[in-house]
Order: sequence, then structure tokens, then C-alpha cells
Amino acid sequence: MPEGGSARCVCCGAKLYRNRPASLARATAFSLTGLVLMAMAHAFPFITMDAAGMRTSLSLSNAAHALIDRGSPLLGIALALFTIIAPLVMACGLIYVCGPLMFGRAAPGATAVTRWISRTQPWNMIEVFLLGVLVSLMKLNRVAEVNFGPGFWAFVVLMISMAAAVASIDRKELWDRLEVARQ
Amino acid sequence: MSGRFPRAVDDDLATCHLCGKVAPAARGECPRCGVAIHTRKPRSIERTIALMVAASALYMPAMTLPVMTLRELGDVAPTTIPEGMQAFWKSGDYPIAVVIFTASILIPFLKIASLAWVCAAATGRVDPSPRMLAKVYWITESLGRWSMIDIFVVGILVALVQLGAYMSVTPGPGALAFGSVVILTMFAATSFDPRLLWDRIDPHMNSEPTPQPDARES
Repeated sequence: MPEGGSARCVCCGAKLYRNRPASLARATAFSLTGLVLMAMAHAFPFITMDAAGMRTSLSLSNAAHALIDRGSPLLGIALALFTIIAPLVMACGLIYVCGPLMFGRAAPGATAVTRWISRTQPWNMIEVFLLGVLVSLMKLNRVAEVNFGPGFWAFVVLMISMAAAVASIDRKELWDRLEVARQ
Repeated sequence: MSGRFPRAVDDDLATCHLCGKVAPAARGECPRCGVAIHTRKPRSIERTIALMVAASALYMPAMTLPVMTLRELGDVAPTTIPEGMQAFWKSGDYPIAVVIFTASILIPFLKIASLAWVCAAATGRVDPSPRMLAKVYWITESLGRWSMIDIFVVGILVALVQLGAYMSVTPGPGALAFGSVVILTMFAATSFDPRLLWDRIDPHMNSEPTPQPDARES
């Protein structure tokens, strides 16, 4: 099947399978972009708030920290898992597996890594966190002056690039390619 | 149970839950990715019901206990999830009130209810159309994650609103209960095996061919 082509059912024309163009290269590239953006999201504040002559700022890790410090360690860990660890596993995992596969090779332990990519995917909640940021902003708008920081925009682009990384390769295609490369 | 349409289970073939490879069930593990394979997830309904009961037991505390406490100049104001939603509604932020209502109150409730319904259907207690059930199952699985919004909001507010004696926010016990509801329902949805829904079809009752969701050959 040609790259970018798709197989359709002969009876009803429904799409059965699409050969996604340059799937491995795209998955690797978008994941690398994702890693850079993750670093940016950690380095710059998401939101800064000015109230009563004081300025506080929110970064990705201090939301989790604050929950752990203020009596909700379990929720803090869950928040870190869903917004920091799961996206990191996804990006690093895709680079580790898809990069060598571009040259027809399976990296050592690629099977285990791909398993972890599949397992952590439902717990990757970047987009949910972004909506949470917006809701918090609406809540705080009434009592303080709040501004978006560069970290917020980095996270928005991160959401798009991780969605693109996941969309550029079919999970089944990844497993098929891995199986072929190992033989 | 040999029907009109070929099914993998009749030939003792199992689809891997993780990578989708079809292999003989007797192998015990997937030849491609190495996880355990089963023709149907073992004890799927029991597990789903157990997780669902735990989630529904926590639903009431999640709605009635405060998710966070706002301290403003010595004033202590605990807020529950429904109160937080009402505050948005009263101040005229209707879209956000609707988002909070849907994500925090409606979806967890619907998820518990639809999982109960799907389990009842898989054990033959109710008999709705399997196509509709598959759709309900898919919707509950894909929407569940959005319920985490409120937990993230609590985390963000706790981190941002730390202005010493003037104003501060601390997480409340409701947040832990609510987070557990969301996580438990997510596990409940993944422990359910949707193939059980299709097993209920009497092959001879259907005149139209029914799509076989797992009949992919490798």
C-alpha cells in the first residue's frame, strides 16, 4: 500500500486502515519537540498572580508539591503522575522505540518500553490539566490579577505536539514494525 | 457455542489486550509483547463490580465533604464540589458552571451507572442492543479522564493562593474521595471486557452480519 493511502471496505467504503505517511519519523520528531516543550513548561511559570502586594506563580511541579506539603500527598503524587511522569514516559518511549525503528532496528528492551507507552497513555492528562488551569484562572480573576506565563503557552503547544506524536503512528502499526524488526 | 459468524474464541484464539495480536489462547502469553492473554479477561465482571462499588461508596463523601478550604483574613470557608459549581453559576460564568457540573458531578455518576448497566447486560439481566452498549462503553471510557479537572483546580489553587495571613487555600478530604472515585472508575472501565457484550448475541436472531470487533488476523 502506498504511503498516505488507505484501504477501504469494498462493500461500504468505510476506511479500514490508513498507511500514515512517514509515521516513525513524525512520531520521533513530535516527541523530541514534546521533550523541549516539557523542559520549557518546567522552567517558566504557568500563571502569575498579583494580590495584596504579593506575587505568587504556578509551575507544573509546584502544584504537585503544594498538594504534598499541605496534607494531600496522594493527590499530589497522582497529579505529578498524570501531568509530568505520563507525558515524559510517552515522549521518551516514542523516541527510544521509533528512532531505531526508522533504521529497521529494535532497541534493546523496546518491547517493554512499548508496553509502558500503551499502559501510561490513558493516564496522560495534559489537556485536562490545561482546562483545569483555565477554570482556576476564572476563579481567581475575581480576587486578584492573574497573567499567563510562557510555561502555559509551552504546555498548550506540548498538548498539540504530543497529540500529533500519538496520531502519527498507529499502536498496531508500531507493534507490527517492532515485530518485523526483531526477526 | 458456534454461531453463524466465525469468532476467535471458538477456535481458541485470543486477542492480546495490549498489542492486539491474535494468538492461540493455550500459549498463555502474547508472542509479540509478552503480556498474559485470555480469550476473555478473567473475572472481568466481578472486578468491575468491585471497583464500581468502591467508587459509588466514595461518591457521596466526594460530593458532600469540602474539596478545599479558603482562609481569607481569618475567615474560613470550606467549599464542596457542588458549591464551587454554584458559585460560578451565580456569578454568571455559565459555561464554566456547565463544564464543572458535567466533569465533576454528571460524568462520575453516569460512569458508575453505565458500568452497572453494561455489567447487567453482560450477565444477561437486561437485554439492550449490543451496538448501543458498545457505544455507551466507549463513551464512558473516553470521558472519564475529564473528571480530574476538579483535582487539578484544587492543586493549582493550593499552589497559587498562598498569601500568608491574607489568603490561603488548603486541600480538603473531599478532594481525596473525589480523586479516588475518578481513578477507581477508570480502573473499573479498563477491567471490563467489552467482548462479553457481544457474547450475548444469539447468532441466529440476527439477519444482518454483525461486525466482529476482534476478528483481526495477523
